[in-house]
Amino acid sequence: MLEALVYGAFAALFSGTVLPLLYRSKNARKASFGLSFISSVLLLGFAGTILYTGKGALFPAISFLPGLDFTLGVDRLSAGFVLLIAAVVPGVSIYSLEYTEHAKSEAGKDLQAALTNLFILAMLLVVLAGNMVVFLIFWEIMSLSSLLLVLHDYSSEENKKAGFFYFVMTNLSTAFLFLGFISLFRLTGSAELGQLESVDPGALTLPFLCLFTGFGIKAGLVPFHKWLPYAHPAAPSGVSALMSGVMLKVAVYGFLRFLLAVPSPELWWGILVLTGGSLSALFGVIYALKESDIKRLLAYSSIENIGIIFIGIGLYVIFEAEGLPALALMSLTGACFHAFNHALFKSLLFLCAGSVVHATGTRNIEAFGGLVKSMPVTSALFLIGSVSIAALPPANGFAGELLLYQAFFQASALNDPLLTVLLVIALSGFALAGALAAALFVKLFGITCLALPRSEESRLAEEVPRPMLIRAAVPAAFCILAGIFSKQLLSLAGLDVEYPDLLLLGLLLGSIYAALFLAVRAKEDHEMEKRPARISETWGCGAPTLAPSMEYSSAGFSEPLVMIFKSIYRTRIMHRPKYFDGQESLFKNGNVEIRLLRFFEEYLYIPPARAIDSISKRISRLQNGKLDSYVLYAFLAVITLIIATGVLV
Amino acid sequence: MIDPLYLEGVIKILFVFVLISAALIISTRSLASVLNTYTVQSFLLAAVSFLLYLIDGKSELLLLAGLTLASKVLLIPHFINRIEEKIKIRRDLDFTYLEPTTSLLLSIGLILLSYTFLSRVFGDLALSRLFFFGAVIGLSLTLMGMLVMFSRKKVITKALGYLSMENGVLMLGIFVTELPFILEVLIVIDLIILVLLTSILAVGLDSSIEEYRAKIRKLQIWNGGEAL
Repeated sequence: MLEALVYGAFAALFSGTVLPLLYRSKNARKASFGLSFISSVLLLGFAGTILYTGKGALFPAISFLPGLDFTLGVDRLSAGFVLLIAAVVPGVSIYSLEYTEHAKSEAGKDLQAALTNLFILAMLLVVLAGNMVVFLIFWEIMSLSSLLLVLHDYSSEENKKAGFFYFVMTNLSTAFLFLGFISLFRLTGSAELGQLESVDPGALTLPFLCLFTGFGIKAGLVPFHKWLPYAHPAAPSGVSALMSGVMLKVAVYGFLRFLLAVPSPELWWGILVLTGGSLSALFGVIYALKESDIKRLLAYSSIENIGIIFIGIGLYVIFEAEGLPALALMSLTGACFHAFNHALFKSLLFLCAGSVVHATGTRNIEAFGGLVKSMPVTSALFLIGSVSIAALPPANGFAGELLLYQAFFQASALNDPLLTVLLVIALSGFALAGALAAALFVKLFGITCLALPRSEESRLAEEVPRPMLIRAAVPAAFCILAGIFSKQLLSLAGLDVEYPDLLLLGLLLGSIYAALFLAVRAKEDHEMEKRPARISETWGCGAPTLAPSMEYSSAGFSEPLVMIFKSIYRTRIMHRPKYFDGQESLFKNGNVEIRLLRFFEEYLYIPPARAIDSISKRISRLQNGKLDSYVLYAFLAVITLIIATGVLV
Repeated sequence: MIDPLYLEGVIKILFVFVLISAALIISTRSLASVLNTYTVQSFLLAAVSFLLYLIDGKSELLLLAGLTLASKVLLIPHFINRIEEKIKIRRDLDFTYLEPTTSLLLSIGLILLSYTFLSRVFGDLALSRLFFFGAVIGLSLTLMGMLVMFSRKKVITKALGYLSMENGVLMLGIFVTELPFILEVLIVIDLIILVLLTSILAVGLDSSIEEYRAKIRKLQIWNGGEAL
């Protein structure tokens, strides 16, 4: 029965991939997105059952290479991530139905529909992969299909750069994964995932570092995060939602799969992961504050949330290494739950952002404003997303982070005082990131939806078509439900952690708000009876009308925070003088540019890229087009081979 | 019936001549002599193959001898001779990377290298001395042919270097690996096609690879030549 569900989902996704390529029509595209919707319903049933019963399943292996089987398997961890995929996909498929039709060419539309399905299928199979080879194969398919989706509008220079950046980073990630898996294979002699009981923990250092780096790059951990803010704005909104909501989590899944296979992880692993997570959370949100491109802002916020998830994973490893399994379970649950929640609200936000961009034609939030009047439903959904991501109770963002806070607060249970101090420092960073995230989304929602329209496009914006609204409504409903029923959900999944009932809290909060509202209302009515109402304009400092330019701008809102973190936002001043003569003595003209220092890009990415570039230039000199040289190379290769064989034999 | 020991002695003498012919191909400047040397080398190979047939009695060896005689001693030299008549060049004086003297010294090194390499590889196989020497000569002939290909400039000489390299492979095949006969036939067909192509390129385009390169570059087939 269960197998039928998952095979049905595979079949639906596969035909969704093939269909738009075979029959190039609008109906085929519709059918394709319909199929991905169906697959997600099937997967919801499948993953829900597995999580509820807690029984894993192993699908029959198909042997496709001698010694290597094509195995798929599922346990509760992977079921959780299948659930995550299934929760995000329905929205994306309904949304893309409309959004895809805005692509420039017919072929582009077909490709987008096909690749989206392929992308979902690949992510699903990575999560279900039973051994390293299957994992890597589908990992690579996942990377490539998402790369093609990022490059969907390849005519723009910016997108090409984004695609290239993503391509390099994703390949780097795969390279590290290969290294990690090969070293694991050498240790265990088996390509199965999850057979590390017999391995000496000291020998796992190299696989751990490789896998941490590889998955960290893909998940967007600082300092490997730079591809995110480039790739997300370039991709179509539905795909951004998938990439940010699901693909980053697939990397988290891979990392967890490795960590859970290790019987006794070492303490320093946890400290490393925790540090990486804290840095990502802080830097992600600090950079997001300064950003005024809505999709890029959301991308930076994804970095922050991935940081939070890795904080949870780091806590899990630390508590596990210190022998506190209950706390470890709580942190792990927090990390997984936050991953699930982030998938929901980030896809919601990306889809709302897509609607806003679609309606206004720009991604610059300084040009938005007043959308609550022209796009009321989108704004309401946007608000739900913002509340969730800002972790306000009782939305799901709060529920996930609460688990992590609880785990943090019990740091005193640790025996090592230094470790406690470290956790307290990480906790303060985590709390700061949370506060900044709240400020960030107050800014984003306020600037986008409230006040007067700041531009003509924003004034003329219209509500998006219904499919796009329904799409965004799905994760919004999930966000609220997953928050309010978090305790029930977790206990359904068989995770009994100490955790307050948010349903009760939600009811309490709701009744308090209602009581407050009614009290104020009653008082108002009472006052009105005494004095008649006076209707007049608000005093506008003497100006005849209030212009949009007088409003609080996005940059203005974040200015105080920018001042506080001035040392992080370093600026770079570029002089570009031009001279009349070669000796540079007669000044002609020039320009000076002050811009934000792209610290990681300029100090971490560009230097190795330059080095590789110059080495390849030197090597490419070997390719000089001379026949003689090529024969000489072949000759030298043969000689080397002969000598090497002679030495080895 | 001739005494096999006597035949082996003859084969060993032929080996020496094969090596001398290889050295001549590396260093001779006149195109006509290079071609003659190649013909002689091929003939020597045919003779070795025939003598081995007399010792072993395997019919493949006899066929091989016949095939070599027909293609490499008669047909291919005949084609190349016609090319040489058509192009006006009689001598190949230019060398790249290596001067003839250095090449010769290097080829001594190559023979020594082949010897040590093969003695390590075949150390446990207990090959008879004759077969071992055949393999050494074959390997060195292959390497020397390759050396000709990159150190000499004219297309014809390069082609002859390639042919001599193939002779080395044939030699190695006879003495060590026992190539299936059908493979040998295919190689010969390849060689004939190679010679035909060379004739088209050498006559049709140019006789010197330098100008040939300039023409190719104009056609934008190879790039990267500008780097030098």
